[in-house]
Amino acid sequence: MELLLQTLINGILAAGIYALVASGLALAVGVVGIVNFAHGEFSMIGAFVSYLLFVSAGIDPMISLGLAAIVLFLVGAITYYGLIRPVLAAPELNQMLLTFGISVALQNIALLLFGADTRVVSTAYQGATIALGGVSFGVPPFAAFVLSVGLLGGLYWFLGRTRLGFAVRAVAQNRLAPGLLGIETQQIYLLAFGLSAALAGVAGVMLSVMLYASPTVGFAYTLKAFAIIVMAGLGNLRGVVPAAIVLALAEAVVSTYVPGGGGWVEAVFFLVIFIALTWRSWRLA
Amino acid sequence: MLKVSGLTKRFGGVVAANEVNLEVRGGEILAVIGPNGAGKSTLLNLLSGLTRPDAGRIEFLGLEITHSVPEVRTWRGLGRAFQIVQPFHEMTVRENLMVGALYGKPGTSLATAQKVVQQVLELTGLSAKADTEAGELTLLEDKRLELARALSTQPKLLLLDEVMAGLRPAEAMEAVELVKRIRASGVTVLFIEHLMPVVRALADRVVVMDYGQVIAEGPYDAVAANARVREAYLGRSA
Amino acid sequence: MMLAGALLLLALVLPGLPLGSWRAFLLDAAQFAFLVSGLALAWDLLARTGQLSLAHGAFFGLGAYATALSIPALGTIPALLVGGGIAALSSLLLGLATLRLQGMYFAIATLAFSEVMRTLVLKAQFTGGSIGLPVQPAFAGAYPLGGYYLAVAVLIICTLVSLLMSRSRLNYAMAATRQGEAVARVLGVSVVRVKLVAFMISACLAGLAGGVYAMKTLFLSPYDAFGLGRAVEALVIPIFGGLYTTTGPLLGGLIIVSLETWLRLRIGEGYLVVYGVILVLTILFLPKGLMGLLARRRGARHA
Repeated sequence: MELLLQTLINGILAAGIYALVASGLALAVGVVGIVNFAHGEFSMIGAFVSYLLFVSAGIDPMISLGLAAIVLFLVGAITYYGLIRPVLAAPELNQMLLTFGISVALQNIALLLFGADTRVVSTAYQGATIALGGVSFGVPPFAAFVLSVGLLGGLYWFLGRTRLGFAVRAVAQNRLAPGLLGIETQQIYLLAFGLSAALAGVAGVMLSVMLYASPTVGFAYTLKAFAIIVMAGLGNLRGVVPAAIVLALAEAVVSTYVPGGGGWVEAVFFLVIFIALTWRSWRLA
Repeated sequence: MLKVSGLTKRFGGVVAANEVNLEVRGGEILAVIGPNGAGKSTLLNLLSGLTRPDAGRIEFLGLEITHSVPEVRTWRGLGRAFQIVQPFHEMTVRENLMVGALYGKPGTSLATAQKVVQQVLELTGLSAKADTEAGELTLLEDKRLELARALSTQPKLLLLDEVMAGLRPAEAMEAVELVKRIRASGVTVLFIEHLMPVVRALADRVVVMDYGQVIAEGPYDAVAANARVREAYLGRSA
Repeated sequence: MMLAGALLLLALVLPGLPLGSWRAFLLDAAQFAFLVSGLALAWDLLARTGQLSLAHGAFFGLGAYATALSIPALGTIPALLVGGGIAALSSLLLGLATLRLQGMYFAIATLAFSEVMRTLVLKAQFTGGSIGLPVQPAFAGAYPLGGYYLAVAVLIICTLVSLLMSRSRLNYAMAATRQGEAVARVLGVSVVRVKLVAFMISACLAGLAGGVYAMKTLFLSPYDAFGLGRAVEALVIPIFGGLYTTTGPLLGGLIIVSLETWLRLRIGEGYLVVYGVILVLTILFLPKGLMGLLARRRGARHA
């Protein structure tokens, strides 16, 4: 019973950061119409920003969060402006290949700069745990969860209650023919892509504490985010949170109850992608 | 030749085809007309298999094809030209036609297909453009290609979806002559059209649809005089 | 065409040329280039139907493992056939499940497939798991150049299949499927069957290349054989060289793998950066690849 409870709590806590990364991806897909393979690399950059600030200046990750958000917003905006915008009118596959290329390039640039080692931001509170009844959980995952919930709440508030958010949704819902993009639409795209990258970057800072910073840390999260948004329905932001919970719980259950589960966890999100897509493929047929 | 009975298709709450009954007789030219949104294009998609019906039955040359996939209907002799021309841009006109000629009838050899393509090119007046890339054609030539490609599958019944849309009156009349030549070569034709002069010039028989239902059927003059038809058109144009 | 022939001829006579002290290194690098180019040619065959696969690294890896595991019992050539067969079989299963998916959905599904395959190989016992799997050399090491010529043979087979498919009736169906699936169906093309056939031929060739690769490296690990890097190579080379052509992937393979080999010497890990950058630049500035560039040059001269 306690094992089950612990498993469920682990799953729910992990779901927060999943939802954060996936919401960013859903924003890029839903608003700009770009399936961004480099999304996880934005998280990777966030993780390294946090690591470098911590090592060089002793800045706490809690503070890096804001800095990483700004840096990644800029990275996202520049990526959009310089690389994505030129291919908005190109076939979908070209757009996908372009972001795939960006992903491969960023991963390997990081590899050249930092090597393949994993680097952890070891704060004082990193190993701290909270015990409640028979279950316990680490402080960083709990903080990450609370932060994720807060940020997602902010995102939904922004999209649902503000004028600008309304404009973003309007652009998402009736995407104009490429080539006919007005200046306002372009600005919305820029904003959405920047926000998307910023969300990934913030998640990356959390990863630098909970997991580590490494060149390939982000790619796994791109794939998990794919699994989530495919489950939710591509570009459907509202379905992201429940889908993230499903994925995280499934992973937690596998890692607790399947013998040698550690390695199999890696297969869970692929199975989810696979089942969701295959189901989709037969429904379409 | 083609018998449709009780054919029904709903999209959400909209009934795009409501118990449609229809018969196409061998050798005729049948026009399907109706106001925008009457369900004409849905009907064609149901006939060529791109949309699956919720209920009803389609019979072609005595065999049921209600649930057949599009390619099987094509093999049986059902050709289709689209309203929005979608040529294969990276191929020449000839190569576009080769696709239909090779795959429209299973087991066609390259040599036979080339002969079919030559005939279709001549019939549709595209011989001079045979080796032009499809992406470089004019609108009129695009429309001809769309027709020619449907013909390259050697259909017994040809479904035409507003192939005259966007043409100038003189061009449309040229196209009318082309469709007449096609019929003379032994192909039955069912076409959707908005331009009444074209319908009058071509159709042996007219079927009128409104709100997914067939509301009238008969020779052009009789249908044009029909009160329900007039209401359907006039009542909506306001 | 001429270019392709010249490249293959060079591959055949390369071991006989006076290469001096670089001989061993050059032959090894060339062998790798042939296998990767063969993989790229194979990938392009599926791309002709409009499907973008990220699973070709996995077919390569499956071919490598299946060949490695069956060499002791069957010998070199039959083991290679097993490798190609296993890859084709897995593509059939994957294709039946996913080939109705279009565009990015198919790409994501194939990516998921390759990661699941890697996990399976890592977790299974008979594959050596994460420790890896030693492989016997080609023909039990009886011919020093055996592995090299097997690689040349794979490249020639891939080139011939690519050329033959360009000239076959299937080419019309593949191009039609790529350029408009609904229209192709109404013209009588069974698009799912066409995609499945292309997928199987493509995966089989990838598996063959993987099998020869196994005998070349003599040791397989899941991270190497199923790494994403191979899938990246398989798709960047044809895109850079020129999609839907035979000479494009050959020429692209020669150039990119040379660059890769040089970079591996200089910077080691991280050499894949060249693939990322080339992919981005090609999509932005050279949408038809090198072949498009050559055609434009030629067209300009004739005009």
